[in-house]
Amino acid sequence: MIKIPIKILIVDDEKDFVEMFSLRLKKQGEKVSTAYNGKDALKVLETVPIDVVILDIRMPGMDGIDTLKQIKTLHPIVEVILLTGHGSTETAVEGMKLGAFDYLMKPADFKDINVKLENARKRKDEQEERIRQAEARLLLRRSGDF
Amino acid sequence: MDRVYDDKIRLLLVDDEEGFRRTISKRLAKRGMIPVQASDGEECLGILKTTPMDVVVLDVKMPGISGIDTLRLIKQEFENIQVILLTGNVAVSDGIDGIKSGAFDYLTKPVEIDHLVNKIKQAFEIIQLEKEKQKERGYREKLEKKMIDTERLVSLGTMSTGIAHEINNPLAIINESAGFMKQVISSPEMSMFSQKDALLLGIEKIEKSIKRARKITHELLGHVKKQDSQFSQANLKALLYETLGLLKREIKNKQININWEIDPKKNMVWSDPYQLRQVMMNLLSNAIHALGENGSITLSTRETSEDIILEIKDDGIGIPKENLGKIFDPFFTTKPFDEGTGLGLFVAHKILSGLGCKIDVTSTVGKGTCFQIRLPKYDKSNE
Ligand SMILES: Nc1ncnc2c1ncn2[C@@H]1O[C@H](COP(=O)(O)OP(=O)(O)O)[C@@H](O)[C@H]1O
Ligand SMILES: [Mg+2]
Repeated sequence: MIKIPIKILIVDDEKDFVEMFSLRLKKQGEKVSTAYNGKDALKVLETVPIDVVILDIRMPGMDGIDTLKQIKTLHPIVEVILLTGHGSTETAVEGMKLGAFDYLMKPADFKDINVKLENARKRKDEQEERIRQAEARLLLRRSGDF
Repeated sequence: MDRVYDDKIRLLLVDDEEGFRRTISKRLAKRGMIPVQASDGEECLGILKTTPMDVVVLDVKMPGISGIDTLRLIKQEFENIQVILLTGNVAVSDGIDGIKSGAFDYLTKPVEIDHLVNKIKQAFEIIQLEKEKQKERGYREKLEKKMIDTERLVSLGTMSTGIAHEINNPLAIINESAGFMKQVISSPEMSMFSQKDALLLGIEKIEKSIKRARKITHELLGHVKKQDSQFSQANLKALLYETLGLLKREIKNKQININWEIDPKKNMVWSDPYQLRQVMMNLLSNAIHALGENGSITLSTRETSEDIILEIKDDGIGIPKENLGKIFDPFFTTKPFDEGTGLGLFVAHKILSGLGCKIDVTSTVGKGTCFQIRLPKYDKSNE
C-alpha cells in the first residue's frame, strides 16, 4: 500500500522536541512543517497546505488555546491535535470544545499519535468531500434556476 | 462557691487520731464535703489505689509511714492529686519540707475549719486548671500534627505536580529521540549491521522506562485543578457510564459484571464533573485490578438529607487492616512497579477534598472492598 503523506505542522516551544518529533514523522513518510510559537504557526498555515496541526498547549499563558481559536477561525478545515506536557485532561477537553480533534499528553505513545493523526486526516478529507458535494449541489441548483 | 461544686471534690482525710478525724469530717460534711477517712499512710495509699481522689488532707505525724513519706509516694504515683498537710504547732519545718516534696500547702493544728475548706477548694481549682491545660495541650498537639499532615500533603501535592510538569517535556524529547533511533536502526540500510539487536534492546529499555516514568507524571497531573473548574449539575450514572467506557477492554478481558443499583432519583449531584470522572476512573481501575475473572462491581447510591452517597463496591481481594490507613498516602502501592504507582487514591482523595466531598473505605480480605463517596446533592438553589 502506498502511504499518502499527512501534511503536519508541529507547534511547540521545546525546540529539541520539535526537532526529534519531526525527524521521526518524516522518517515514516509524513510531510512536516514546524513552528515554535502560535504566531509563526499561523504564518505557516497561510503559505503551506496543512492537514493536521499538532499543537502544544502551555498551561500558564493559555496561548496554546488562543492559537487554537485562531486556527479554527482562520482555517476551520484544518484539524488540530493538542499536545500537553502541562495541565490536565480538563484543559484538553476544553480545547476539544473549541474544535480540537483530539489531545495527547506528553510524552505520547507513537502508536497513539499515528492513530490520531490518521483519524484526523480522515475527518478532514470527509469534511472536504462534504464541502465539495455541497458546492456541487449549490452549483446544480443555481444552474437549475436559470 | 455552691454546694454542688463542693460535692464534686473527692476528698480523703488521713489522721491517726480517730476523734480528730470524726470532728473534722462532720464539720466538712456540714459544708458539703464528705471525706473518705484513713487512719495511716498505708491505708491512705491502699484507698488511693482503688478509689480516685482529688485532694488528700494528710497529717504529718503518724505511726508507720510518716506523713512526708506518704506525701512523696502519693506524688510519685498520682501526679494529679493535691495534698494538704496538717502539722503540729511546733513543727513548721515539716510543713516546709512538705511543700518542697510537692504538697499544695500546709495548715497547723488546731485547724480552723473554714481555712481548711478554702484550701481544699483552692487545691481543687488547681487540679481543674491543670486538667484543662492538659486537655488543651493534647488538643493542640493533635491539631498541630493534623496541620503538619495536611500541609505536608498539600505541599507535596503542589511540588509533585510541579515536578511532573517539568519532567514531561524532557521525557517527551527522550521519547522522540529513542523512537527516532529505533526507526533509523530498523531501516533497510542497517540490515547488515551486526550490533543491531543490541542497540534495539537498549532502545527498548529506554522506551519501557519512559513509559514507567510517564505513568507517574500523568497520574500526578490527573488532579491539577483548572483555574476555572466549574461546578455544575452532574449525573453520577452518566459519569460512571463514561468512565466504564474508557475501561471497556479490561472489563471485557476479565469478564467483570457491573451491577447497577443507582436510583435515577438519587443520582444528581452538584460538583465538578471532570474531576469526578477522574476520581471514578481511579477507583474503578483499582476495583478491576482487585478482581479475578467473573468478579463483580456494584455501583449504588444512597441519599441523606443533604448528600448523595455513591458506593463503588467490588468482591475482589480486599485490603488488609494494616494497609487501610496507608492506601491514601502518595506512592503507597502493593502492585508491581509496572502496574501501580500508588498515586490513584492519593489523587482521588485530594480531588474530593478540593470538591468538599468525603471518601471512606471498608474492606475485608477475601471478601471485597467498598469505597463510599459523600457528595453534595443537586438542588435548584445551587445554581
Ligand atoms: N478496590 C481495591 N481492592 C483492593 N485493594 C485496593 C483497592 N483499591 C486500592 N487498593 C490498594 O490500595 C493501594 C493504593 O491504590 P492506588 O493509590 O490507586 O495506587 P495503585 O493502584 O497504583 O497501587 C493499591 O496498591 C492496593 O493495594
Ligand atoms: Mg490505582
